[in-house]
Amino acid sequence: MLSAIKNNFATDDIIVKRSDLYKVSVTKERVFELISFIGNNYSYKVLNAITCTDWIEEEHFALTYIITTLDRKSSFMVQTMINRNDAHINSLVNEFAQAEIMERDLHEMYGINFLGNKNLKELSLENWVHTPPLRREFDTLEFVNKHLTFREGRDDNLDVKVEMKRIRAEKKAAKELAKKLAEEKKAKEETETEENKDGK
Amino acid sequence: MENNKHITIFHGPQHPGITGNMSIELDLVGETIQKATTHVGYLHRGFEKLVERRTVIQAFTIVCRICVPEPDPNEANFAMAVEELTGLEVSPRAQYIRVMVLELSRLAAQFLWMAGQSGSIGLYAVGQWAIADRDLILDLFEELTGARVYHMYIYPGGVRRDLPEGFLERVSKLLLYMKKRLKDYDDIFINNASFKNRAIGVGVIDKDEAIKNGYVGQVLRACGIKADVRKDAPYLVYNELDFEVPTRVEGDVYARALVRRDEMDQSIHILEQVVAKIPKDGNLMTKIPGHRKFKLPKDDTWVKVESARGEFAYYMAGDGSENIRRMQVRGPSLVHAYTLLEKLLVGAELSDVALIMNSLGICPPEIER
Amino acid sequence: MKMKWSVDLKGTLSPLKILNAFWQKPNTIAYPAVKKETAKGYRGFHTNVLKDCIGCANCQDVCMNDAIDMIKVDKEYNAKNSSQCIPRIDYGRCCWCSLCTDVCPPDSLKLEDDYLNVTKNASDFLYMPKDK
Repeated sequence: MLSAIKNNFATDDIIVKRSDLYKVSVTKERVFELISFIGNNYSYKVLNAITCTDWIEEEHFALTYIITTLDRKSSFMVQTMINRNDAHINSLVNEFAQAEIMERDLHEMYGINFLGNKNLKELSLENWVHTPPLRREFDTLEFVNKHLTFREGRDDNLDVKVEMKRIRAEKKAAKELAKKLAEEKKAKEETETEENKDGK
Repeated sequence: MENNKHITIFHGPQHPGITGNMSIELDLVGETIQKATTHVGYLHRGFEKLVERRTVIQAFTIVCRICVPEPDPNEANFAMAVEELTGLEVSPRAQYIRVMVLELSRLAAQFLWMAGQSGSIGLYAVGQWAIADRDLILDLFEELTGARVYHMYIYPGGVRRDLPEGFLERVSKLLLYMKKRLKDYDDIFINNASFKNRAIGVGVIDKDEAIKNGYVGQVLRACGIKADVRKDAPYLVYNELDFEVPTRVEGDVYARALVRRDEMDQSIHILEQVVAKIPKDGNLMTKIPGHRKFKLPKDDTWVKVESARGEFAYYMAGDGSENIRRMQVRGPSLVHAYTLLEKLLVGAELSDVALIMNSLGICPPEIER
Repeated sequence: MKMKWSVDLKGTLSPLKILNAFWQKPNTIAYPAVKKETAKGYRGFHTNVLKDCIGCANCQDVCMNDAIDMIKVDKEYNAKNSSQCIPRIDYGRCCWCSLCTDVCPPDSLKLEDDYLNVTKNASDFLYMPKDK
């Protein structure tokens, strides 16, 4: 099966992750052809999940379709890269009925438009007007600091590294001061003994 | 469409039979449902985004909260995904302890299902009994892991604590009690004439559509398909244990109830074998670096376990740093609550909504994480 | 999906076995005469032995909910406490995962089996671990 895919789709990087899990990465234009190919010829006909990972440094989303055989013994991860800005791809609702809810979830969380899915309404969030939350540019800490207030009472938190440095510096200064005082006292005692000796 | 006959009501948000917060918008003519639309969103806590700011060990503590009735498959999935990405080995003793925890958790979840299913048709006495018996299992968890519901016990690399003194004897005693007690449940609930009259012929699912649409768990097993991750793609030490996968052919609510009842017997059988075969010594946890130095490689994986409701799967991707790049949770209820429920409810009666929801095993916390 | 009433003698009579429950021991315990014992190793509230605590803030570093503050209080410290600070935990954020006790180097931070904290005042949730 792997050699047939290599020949037909001119791709060399088919990874065998476990004895029951394969992964291949193809371009956006050929991904549905590959899904039909493994479905018609090797009985990979059950869509288990559609996942998306945001690679903001490389400026694309990695969309993965996970498809299992009819006897549930082997799974295939078909991955494709789509553009981060104006992300869109054709929908799979006509082939798989469960794709409708999975695409609706990704649309809400990443902002990907699935062309052909008529039910891309909101799912878990209600009246959300900010950026789609699972995108990497949505910073949750900044959002929370801007929109919510924290309860009082925790202002006496200290940074231990700063405290340790301060205490070490204080101890060192105290030690040097004690040394200086001891030296001054010793010098004063020596001068006094000299004077006494002279005075005699 | 007839005039002046349709009414739309909002069935929710509530827990009809201890499922979880979910609501269904129903279009009715009289009491027969014409159209159903599922609404979730009451339990969205944003786990997949929370995990991005945390290191791997910090993320392990919140994963168990994704599914409330049965937290342990989540922990097992997370640990298996991290171990697969980083190449950690787990000792046989830790694997047997993990199997014991997972099977006890499965028994507890099936008792919770029984409480919900009997409550949805009005047999509240069975519900009270089932919650009381589940409490005995939670007592065992309390002394093993330190908490009753959210255990945080299955750690990437092994398990967190050793078995207390005399724990295996207490487990054996509880299993003997359960075997006797489940016979009472047979007489009072499973063979009860009113349950049979309500449940036979209700919520029938077609076999070919069930396979194609990606349904999992008891939905497939009650249609005649022997689908179980523990047999199809064995993990931990399940290939060394002897058990069966029960099936029925009718595909209705009563068939799913019988399948679940048989699975409880199989869980007890597996637990007896684990108590007999567990290795006496072996280390419990493989050492891992400190939490800011434990890095995941730039790779991804897909792992799955069999929970009490079906196949539970995780997708995890790392990016070379100590944070997780992406963790996606694919619970069994995502497809059941939308694609299956909206289809099954068409033509059903209003009083059967809770019955069907319970028998599909829908758990809203894992739909919207 | 209409209900069909068929004669089912076994199914109608066998549930009457529930009447046996009258003669069985109840599942509940006679609280408050008998109280339930918490198991050993239960993850309850924090305790910190001040003469062992070295103020390293490992617990603050590993806590993913930002629940731990390192503060100065007027108590007798360990001479080796190099920052002269001890942890205080915000129970509004803590999830009792006990990772902080796992990473404590002198093993001074532990969890006991107390779990009741009832108060009308939200700032009482900033809990100072007991010294024992």
